[in-house]
Amino acid sequence: MAARVLQQCVRTLARPSLRLSTGSLAVRAAVAPSAFVHRPLSFSADSRRTRWLVPTRIPSVGVLCRQYGDLPPLTLETIKERVMYVLKLYDKINPEKLDTCSHFMKDLGLDSLDQVEIIMAMEDEFGFEIPDAEAEKLMSPEEIVQYIADKKDVYE
Amino acid sequence: MAASARAQVISLYRVMLTESKKFPSYNFRTYAVRRVRDAFRANRTVEDPKAVERLMVEGQQTLELIKRQVTIGKMYETQKNVVED
Repeated sequence: MAARVLQQCVRTLARPSLRLSTGSLAVRAAVAPSAFVHRPLSFSADSRRTRWLVPTRIPSVGVLCRQYGDLPPLTLETIKERVMYVLKLYDKINPEKLDTCSHFMKDLGLDSLDQVEIIMAMEDEFGFEIPDAEAEKLMSPEEIVQYIADKKDVYE
Repeated sequence: MAASARAQVISLYRVMLTESKKFPSYNFRTYAVRRVRDAFRANRTVEDPKAVERLMVEGQQTLELIKRQVTIGKMYETQKNVVED
C-alpha cells in the first residue's frame, strides 16, 4: 500500500517535469531559427561600426588616429564657432546685432534671467557645469569663449 | 531688490530649470520649463522684500514638487514621443 502511494507520488512529480523538459526543447527549437535569422542583422551592424572606426586624418594633428565617440580636439576657433551658433539659436537675440564683443545686457538688451539661460545652453553644448559665481561674470561671447578655453585647457 | 536676494532668485531660477529638464516625459518637461520661465518673467518687477520672500518660499515648494514628480516620472517611463526623435 505504502509502496503504491509512493509510486503514484513519484509519477505525478515526474510528469510535469517531463512536460517541462519537452516544452523547453520546443522553445529551444523555436528560438534557434530566429537566432539564425538575426545573425545577418548583427553582421551588418558590425560592418557599420567598423566603418565608423575607419581612421580619419585630422588636419590640425596631422597623424592617423581613430575617433571613437570623441569629437575633434577643441581649438579657439571651434569654441567660438559653437558659442556663436548657440547664441544665434537663442530666440531673444537678433543674429544681425550679435557680435563677439557685444555685451548681453547693454548691447543686446537681455536681462539676468536670459543670461542664466544662455549659460545653461553653453553647459549643455560643452558638457560641463559652470558654477554660479563664475556664470554671473560672463557677459559677452568672447568672455564665454575665454572661460571655456581656460577650463578645457585650450591655448593658441 | 537687495543684491543677496537677487543672487538667491537667480540661483533658484537656475536650479528650477535644471530640475525641470530632467522630466522623462516630453509634455511634462516642456510644460515645466515654460511655466518656470513665465513665472519668473511675470514677477520680474516685484520690489517689495516681503513679496519677494513669499515668492521665494513658493518657488522652493514648487522646486520640491518638480523633484518629486521627476522621480515618480522616472518610475513610469514610457516610449518616446514622435516629436522627440
